[in-house]
Amino acid sequence: MLTTWARAAAPADGASPSDEVGAAWQLMADHLGRDAYVRLDRVRGVPTREQRLAQAVVVVDYQPVTPERLHAAEAIFADLARGEDEIAAQAAYLQARLYQVHYSQPDYGRAAELYRALAARQPDSHWAQLGLVKLGLLQLYVLPEPAGPAARLAAVAALLPRIKEEKLQRDVHLQLGQAGTFYGLPLDAVLAHLIEVNRIGGLVGQIEEDLAIQLGELSLRAGHYAAARTYFETYLRDFTPNLRSVTVRRRLAEMAAQEAKAQEGRP
Amino acid sequence: MNGRLRHLGLVLAALGYAWALGWVFTRSAPVVASRPVTIRFAHWQIEQGPPDGMKAVIRRYEELNPRVKVEQVLVPGRIYNQWLRTNLVGGTGVDLVEYGVWLDGMTDIPARYFEPITDQMLRPNPYNRGTPLEHVPWVQTFTDGLQYQRVNAPSPGQFYCATMTEVSERLFCNQELLRAILGSDRTPQTFAELRALFPQVTAYAARTGRPIFALAGSRDNASWLLQFLLQGCMMQVSQRNDRYGSLALYNWDALGHYLEGRWSYRLPEARAGLTMMREVSVNMKQGFVQSLRDAATQEFLRGDAVFIFAGTWDGTSLRSQATFPVEVLRFPQPTPSDPVMGPYLYGRFADGGGGTAMEFYLNKLSAHPQEAVDFMHFMTSVEGSQLFTNHSGWLPATRTVQVPPAIRPYYTPLDCYSFGAEYMMIGASVNMAIMRNFHLLVGPQGSVDRFVDAMEAVMPAAARTDLYKEMTNRSLIVRPQDVRLMALAALGRRAPQNAALVLARERLECAQTQSEALMLKMARQLADAGPVK
Repeated sequence: MLTTWARAAAPADGASPSDEVGAAWQLMADHLGRDAYVRLDRVRGVPTREQRLAQAVVVVDYQPVTPERLHAAEAIFADLARGEDEIAAQAAYLQARLYQVHYSQPDYGRAAELYRALAARQPDSHWAQLGLVKLGLLQLYVLPEPAGPAARLAAVAALLPRIKEEKLQRDVHLQLGQAGTFYGLPLDAVLAHLIEVNRIGGLVGQIEEDLAIQLGELSLRAGHYAAARTYFETYLRDFTPNLRSVTVRRRLAEMAAQEAKAQEGRP
Repeated sequence: MNGRLRHLGLVLAALGYAWALGWVFTRSAPVVASRPVTIRFAHWQIEQGPPDGMKAVIRRYEELNPRVKVEQVLVPGRIYNQWLRTNLVGGTGVDLVEYGVWLDGMTDIPARYFEPITDQMLRPNPYNRGTPLEHVPWVQTFTDGLQYQRVNAPSPGQFYCATMTEVSERLFCNQELLRAILGSDRTPQTFAELRALFPQVTAYAARTGRPIFALAGSRDNASWLLQFLLQGCMMQVSQRNDRYGSLALYNWDALGHYLEGRWSYRLPEARAGLTMMREVSVNMKQGFVQSLRDAATQEFLRGDAVFIFAGTWDGTSLRSQATFPVEVLRFPQPTPSDPVMGPYLYGRFADGGGGTAMEFYLNKLSAHPQEAVDFMHFMTSVEGSQLFTNHSGWLPATRTVQVPPAIRPYYTPLDCYSFGAEYMMIGASVNMAIMRNFHLLVGPQGSVDRFVDAMEAVMPAAARTDLYKEMTNRSLIVRPQDVRLMALAALGRRAPQNAALVLARERLECAQTQSEALMLKMARQLADAGPVK
């Protein structure tokens, strides 16, 4: 864990408001939102922009979450978003998030509008770029326009040049690859995205292993046998053997048999 | 005389005092706890074996860590769900919690109450120092790399738990009874041989007047068998539906595929599995569907059944309580020439090897998370796992641990296939529907047609309910992640040199994006499917 596992404590004597806000962020990072709320409530004086952001953020997951609290948080986010600093970008991003995931009835259209506005206003901000990733997800699956699968993927691919951070580009490529297979689009188009994800790397958890197999299996289905072999062999080398590796070994054996048969047929 | 008596009295008093002192210091609970930290873990593995295994682990851990006391809380499976939820809701949950995704009506629990342990999983387990696993990241020290747990993690890309054992399903055989029936010790190697044995058992029972059946029956044991047969006969269907090419289907895939019309219980592959289940079930005691696994265990231990199909979790109980030799077999599988399943067979289907189990999660509200994770490290270390294995008779989940010869047959070699979905426990509603209608398949008046008709009447609603639940459970994960992301960013602003904060934020963003994509895809599938017609 990154954190200190600390429980909320009374503010230290003489701690500055900035220190108190820092301690509250730490509590939020430790999933101790209720303690962070209490801590922020004790800070005296005119609240800074960061303090106001922290106070609104903590409310987003303060149980029980109520529409009134979320609306109050949105008002603060909207106000803070008028600035031009990172806090403004964070606030604008969070305002969009409220419409995408926090309100009990999501409004994907409004969320998309807010992500677009943030990207237009502060295009280089991390939060604007992350917002473009989220906008891409909405376009892939739920926004009414563009309607067809190919058009949805094209619209999201068009966001890529605006996303400068490589890790976020990777996440968009991954979702383009997954959505492409979901909609049954041509395998070569799908594979291009997954290959890019593999190049950037850094995935953690089950998706890392899934991707390693997908690259082999989709290459095989697309008829790229040499590439499929390489990906499958890499998978067998890099991952703990499990039942999927039994299937992968069978795929390799079947490919070898096919190749041998093809060799026999040649003059 | 008086003086000598007084002297004797003083000696006796001194001896009594010394004895009392000895008792207080060695036997009774200390007035002030000598171990300032107490952590508790709870599980439902109250079969013979695991409690002893964990007791041995605790004893050694407490020797190594004099500050910490560890308490094992054993909770019977029948009340585990209610017990767990009540305690978690009330904030009185134990520090480490056993949990399984298949627990009925509990799918929201990880998202609400469990803390990820991703960072620790990517670093070596400190208790593996001096072993071959010394420099291996914790996650890779498990025999399966926590495959099953990663698949079912509430947030993709996050690790939540550590496992203690590897389980498989086996056919346990009463060798004496088999010899009495067949006149030989030869056990069936294929399903055809098992099929041929059924009438011989029936004839023996009629001849001797004893209530002997080929398989001990209960609702639990039969449902494990159904799950096993269904996943086997549906492997080719799973491959056809594997559009992502990951060679495995997740539960939400199977649910979404059902709504897209890609499979149903009417498929010939599914009917083949159900037919085999029916065929086996008529060789179990009538009315078994009303009884639970204890009844099947007793039936087998009484010598009234030749076999019992059970998980290796029952192995220690079966083998230690039986008064006859028990042989452990892999379930005899159909061959390509099998008249029922042959046409649909992809290969030997998995009877284990799919992953490790007895998984422990860290309670978000643990008062001692560091100590709890430290105990998790120890119990899954080479030393801790060896202690568990030796004292429980269960397979280890940790690599390089020596497996005692008696339990080696529990191991599933990598000679079989699995594509994930088993078309039964893919969701709480689907599973409940199956169990509600199970008697229509295996009861005296049952048939494959009756079961399929009943299931297909309820599946459209059940699949929608379960897919919707999969989606909403993820929103429980995704929402608090926004708060943590903002906090990590703010902390990063204050400590720009702290690369760990940046990495943690990036990983969380990636995991959150994957969860959201999944939720939106499910929303799309549900919208496309529309309401039940």
